Amino acid sequence: MSEASIVMVLFGSFLALLILGAPVMVSLGIAALASFFYLDENPIKFVQIAFNSVGSFPLMALPAFILAGALMEASGISKRLVTLAESFAGPVTGGMSAAAILACMFFGAISGSGPATTAAVGMLMIPAMVNRGYDKGYASAVTASSGGLGIVIPPSIPMVIFGISALGLAVPLEAIAKHGEFQSISIPKMFIAGFLPGVVMSVGLMTLNYIQCRRYGFKGSGEGWSISQIGKAARSGIWSILAPLVILGGIYSGFFTPTESAIIAIFYTLFVGLFIHKELKMKDLIHSLETTTWLSGRVLLILFTATAFGRILVENQIPAIVADSMLSLTDNLYLIWLLIIAFLLFVGMFMETLAAIMILTPVLLPVAYTLGIDPVHFGIVMVCSLSIGFSTPPLGENLFVASGISDTPLEEVTAKALPFALVSTIMVIIIAYIPQIALTMPSLLGY
Amino acid sequence: MMKIIFKIFDNLESYLCRALLVTFVTLLFAQILSRELFGHSITWSEELSVYLFVWFVFLGSSYAAKLSAHNRVTFHYKWLPQKLSTFFEFASDVLWVSFNSYFIYLSYDFVFNRMNLFWKSQTLGIPMKYIYLILPIAFVLMTIRIIQVNYLKFIKGVEVIDPEAQEMNELMSHEMQEVSATDDADNKKTTGKMENNL
Repeated sequence: MSEASIVMVLFGSFLALLILGAPVMVSLGIAALASFFYLDENPIKFVQIAFNSVGSFPLMALPAFILAGALMEASGISKRLVTLAESFAGPVTGGMSAAAILACMFFGAISGSGPATTAAVGMLMIPAMVNRGYDKGYASAVTASSGGLGIVIPPSIPMVIFGISALGLAVPLEAIAKHGEFQSISIPKMFIAGFLPGVVMSVGLMTLNYIQCRRYGFKGSGEGWSISQIGKAARSGIWSILAPLVILGGIYSGFFTPTESAIIAIFYTLFVGLFIHKELKMKDLIHSLETTTWLSGRVLLILFTATAFGRILVENQIPAIVADSMLSLTDNLYLIWLLIIAFLLFVGMFMETLAAIMILTPVLLPVAYTLGIDPVHFGIVMVCSLSIGFSTPPLGENLFVASGISDTPLEEVTAKALPFALVSTIMVIIIAYIPQIALTMPSLLGY
Repeated sequence: MMKIIFKIFDNLESYLCRALLVTFVTLLFAQILSRELFGHSITWSEELSVYLFVWFVFLGSSYAAKLSAHNRVTFHYKWLPQKLSTFFEFASDVLWVSFNSYFIYLSYDFVFNRMNLFWKSQTLGIPMKYIYLILPIAFVLMTIRIIQVNYLKFIKGVEVIDPEAQEMNELMSHEMQEVSATDDADNKKTTGKMENNL
């Protein structure tokens, strides 16, 4: 059976190289190349794949959002958003840590990355929580766990990558015959669909936070809400509050494409940073440009080899084999969702999110089509599941960041973050079982 | 003089990428302004910015190679003997160089032997050949960078730490002091306590 042997060549060499410690891009590239040779195809196709996989207009949203995020940090927009969230803490039990989660939500609306969210929020909120008598380990764990919201709440770089990977995949004809037409995927649609699931995840985190804080006895301030403090934070943060409104408003109203709204966000931030906050320095600007350069270079080079890899998968009907073997285990959609989520959590624990999306979308999305799962819904569940990997060992970047900021042992932060990872997982399962959470907003807004 | 040339070459991709990034971002912004304010759409700007973006990406990945920032799965290295993990890393870099060399051959062959000057871009009318030229160039540069990183590591004994790990290290050591130093008076009292804990 040639299909089985091509699976061996493709995945065997990929996993062997990955375990050797080769860069993800090289592992994918050599595996794809080996399969090309094995199938006697002309590898010259690689050149056009390299050019066409990167040369697309929607993809330019990626460097634009990275740059916008870096600039917002440098121009003091992020800092003011966190201060505003902090002022809402008030007298409630666990209020300060709830404010940290809120800050991550705000922040998620301007940034597309998890560790960046954790670093920006943690730097201000962890000391603030400790000052209110919170345990350092718990404070770090809350921030690390909610940092993942940064990629669920739009704009989200992983959703851009999912959209791009999914656009290149045709819907299998058998799936259309069985389940009818599927809606098409677009990045704006993903961004709209991601909003409510982000809120659902946040509600889960806040609920657990309340329970935990009552147990540990982390009380709010005795003074009640300070209206003047909220007012002050809101006044000084007005330009920061406008930033997410500009980005999301532009996309949701259909006025701008995600790429364009990221470009507008860049110039908005430059304006605020230079003329209003007057905090943006030439040095920071150069630093932001450099960060954007190597981050985009590294991610999009993976996109090139992942596209070649994905093409071999699809041409050899490998997703169909995966789907068949899944269906032979069970044909209960709820159990299949559990299998998929467990698999995504597992991969998310070991692999960088964007790389995981680029590799897994060509494998799993056709499977989802075959099972009659809506592609937008599937993408949202995928991003949500992978976001949990930020706060689980052994590769939880958010845990490293948070334990670094608070100077707490990694083990302690990890132990206290695990209940949050569990709650997030339950929330992801809810989002998977109730497709309306992801799909209501896009259909209401006419997408 | 040699030093200056060397310094420029050492940061070549970084300089070029900054310029490319600024150019295509500005170009896209100009396009939005001209469409929204003057109702006039610049036809060639989208295509040009996509090509600049492609150049930016491939040169940027060479820059990432220089910083050794490309993602690898290495968490299992800590359970391996030091020598074995060093060997693994070296072996994987050899494979990387081989892959790049083969791709350089492919892209060189494609650009110089298979593309003619009549295949032009849709709105700008530039022969696509010149745009595809970035593929062999960037992969040659990237290969040089991989060798450079290994040269620094094995001959000079300098470890090139990827920027994320570096930021993390800085976070571990300095960040707390920095936060308390730069923050405004409001946060003084909050961070003050953290300093005592450090």
